[in-house]
Amino acid sequence: MKGLVPLFLGIFGTFAFSWLGLTVIPTWQIGHLNPESDEEGTDIYPQPQSGMFERGAHVYAANGCVYCHSEQVRADYAANDIERGWGNRRSAPVDYIFERPVFLGKMRMGQDLANLGARAPAQQESPAPGGAASPAASPGSSATSPAPAASSASSPAAAGGSPAASSSPNATPPLGQRTGVASPSSSQMANASPGGSSPIAPTPQTPGAPWPIQTEGLPPMYSAAWHHVHLYSPRSINFDSNMPSYRFLYEKRRIAGERSADALQLSGADAPLAGWEVVPTYDAKCLVAYLMALNQSHPLKGIRSVGGAPAAGASPATAAQGASPGPAAAASPAAAKK
Amino acid sequence: MNATGIPLKEPAVSAAAGDTEQVERAYIDASTRVPVLMFYTSAIGWLILGTLLAGFVSWKLHSPDLLGDISFLTWGRVRPAHMNVMVYGWASMAGMGTAIWLMARLCRTVLRFPLLLVAGAAFWNLGVLVGVCAILLGDSTGYQWLEFPRYSSIILFVAYALIASWAVLMFRYRRGEQIYITQWYLLGAFLWFPWLYAAGQLMLFVVPVQGVLQSAVGWWYSNNLLFLWFGAIALGTAYYMIPKVIGRPVYSYHLATIGFWTYALFSSWTGMQRLVDGPFPAWMITASIAATILAMIPVATVGLNHHMTMQGYFPLMRYSPTLRFTVFGAMSYTVFSVVGVLISLRSVARYVHFTEASIAYSHLGLYAFFTMVIFGSMYYIVPRLVGREWRYASLIKLHFWAAAYGIGLMTLMLLAGGFLQGADMQNPALPFSESIETALPYLRGRSLAGLLMAAAHFIFAYHFGLMLLGLGRTSTVPTFLNPVEAEPSGGH
Repeated sequence: MKGLVPLFLGIFGTFAFSWLGLTVIPTWQIGHLNPESDEEGTDIYPQPQSGMFERGAHVYAANGCVYCHSEQVRADYAANDIERGWGNRRSAPVDYIFERPVFLGKMRMGQDLANLGARAPAQQESPAPGGAASPAASPGSSATSPAPAASSASSPAAAGGSPAASSSPNATPPLGQRTGVASPSSSQMANASPGGSSPIAPTPQTPGAPWPIQTEGLPPMYSAAWHHVHLYSPRSINFDSNMPSYRFLYEKRRIAGERSADALQLSGADAPLAGWEVVPTYDAKCLVAYLMALNQSHPLKGIRSVGGAPAAGASPATAAQGASPGPAAAASPAAAKK
Repeated sequence: MNATGIPLKEPAVSAAAGDTEQVERAYIDASTRVPVLMFYTSAIGWLILGTLLAGFVSWKLHSPDLLGDISFLTWGRVRPAHMNVMVYGWASMAGMGTAIWLMARLCRTVLRFPLLLVAGAAFWNLGVLVGVCAILLGDSTGYQWLEFPRYSSIILFVAYALIASWAVLMFRYRRGEQIYITQWYLLGAFLWFPWLYAAGQLMLFVVPVQGVLQSAVGWWYSNNLLFLWFGAIALGTAYYMIPKVIGRPVYSYHLATIGFWTYALFSSWTGMQRLVDGPFPAWMITASIAATILAMIPVATVGLNHHMTMQGYFPLMRYSPTLRFTVFGAMSYTVFSVVGVLISLRSVARYVHFTEASIAYSHLGLYAFFTMVIFGSMYYIVPRLVGREWRYASLIKLHFWAAAYGIGLMTLMLLAGGFLQGADMQNPALPFSESIETALPYLRGRSLAGLLMAAAHFIFAYHFGLMLLGLGRTSTVPTFLNPVEAEPSGGH
């Protein structure tokens, strides 16, 4: 090739073409969206988020949550995201207009989080900072002593001590056990939270269930307190989770006088020594506030929502369990993932 | 017939041109010595660091409690640190080192203004160091390959401005009218990178675009970085090294022209296919899928060109380390592109989206293609800078086989694991956790593959260190991988 001019022009031109086509034109097309509202101008969605949300988003970015979790629900013709209970409609550009950075994600080593906040038990829906003690647990009791009364059907996997957990490294038997336990407990789930809109109430366990459903002191699933326990010790909730624990976001300290209200309700090996407690740092509170504000369940014009049910998901079972199982036969609390 | 009779070192044309050209070339090589070695040494330092981080990342994925309580060693920080060390520390610095050497050679002039380059390399190192520390301390921006916070990006940009201004100055001093194929690619890379980087920074951090478009800009940036920066440097290098080592001109200049322009046109439009079924207008994703398919045109022309150039000379890969690495890399370009098309097609993407398969894709591009070509160029260039030949043929062979088997195994593991993971994820009868459990054995296999690659890198770094210390062989004959027999199978 002779002559620099055509070379320069070509190099410039090809790249300008791509830049215009893939960034400038889309900005012109969907880069200036406004929130949607109904005819009266009320019920505006989405709305700008709080300062805690923003800081939480930075904690989310800093600790690389985005490398394992997506925040987008694909349409039902493309994927079974909705069937999994990750949302009741596909995500749309307008869902993200107030988010910066946007964490659409590219990997699902963990569950999709687009509607994580929508799965919270109803009375906890407002992101109570610091995971204020869950109603089920008695805050006064020391963390080492389990609170059996706090039984929540939704606590899925056994903590280290349970026999099932110790046999779990072998992949096949647990699967069998899960199937064995599936029907009673998933119907239990269904009873517990129809449509996901009612609080997950303590449900008496099915007598004689082969699976010792772990009930020790765990707060209701997807409540702020539950998120804190999960972030602190993911494997106390799902024994085979490969999520890292984020203990550096928590502070272990000696109880000075009264046990603080936002101390984590830990059990088993994670529980601090008597006289000590684990409390979330401000970053952890912001992160949980962020997670609990993720909610795309608001209907949008032109996008079909499944079932019209509020919040979490297509079927009660998936709503209660946070998405894991599909048809009831395969469902089991043990299989439910964070 | 002795070894010098085999045209492994200089092309046949140089014999006619006579000794002056040889001497001139030696002068040029000597003038590039300090800057290029500086780039290479830094790059290999980053490579070792990045390898350690990679091993850590890979291991923690299936053993999540390993050192998990320390904030700066948490998986979500080490992973972007690894990526950025590899992308900006290793790949960019090694690529720029090779590009600088090639520019000096192809402009046929001694390297002027070396201080610009030395300062550029120093600033670049500083920028990467600051950025990686920032990521580990929790100041990542959260955008893939743009995780460096703004203060570190500014240092990188200053460094880059120094290096690019050097390239422009060098081009003014060039001799000869002809602009060789390699120079098209290098000029392209040197001009595309700043625009890309500036556009990415501006549209994400300075005047951020709204909502989901940030993700679009992010993918546009990282895919173009892969193609127009790394890919362009690697293709340019391959266009130089293959003809040079076998001593034969490029098969077709016309093919090369077609290949270059279609490469610039189509590969720059890819990227959005990684957002398949996301909250975007469908045309954006479709356009990128189409561009990915159209990008097979440059693959075909470049591949054909290299193949026809190599025709009859493939047995030389038995002897020349440069050729072996470069041809491996050039072939991986084809594999990389074919895999890229396969995982982009909507029907397949629905299965492999959100799985490990995308990691296989980026490793194919950045390692099997780019890094292997750059290793090849280092095996060619370093002896010409330090005046010694590589000391141990056995170490080069070990390096090659460990790297080749390592990346091959890693790709297979991630692709297979990704497909199975995706199939489980798409099966609503299975709980989500099944998809992770399905992928875990493959991730353990990936860790093993990573061990092989780590071994390759340590061997290479050791060998390079020997060369740097002047402990290479003093010889007029380059180090061949195998003893050259009396009648080499090349038949020439």
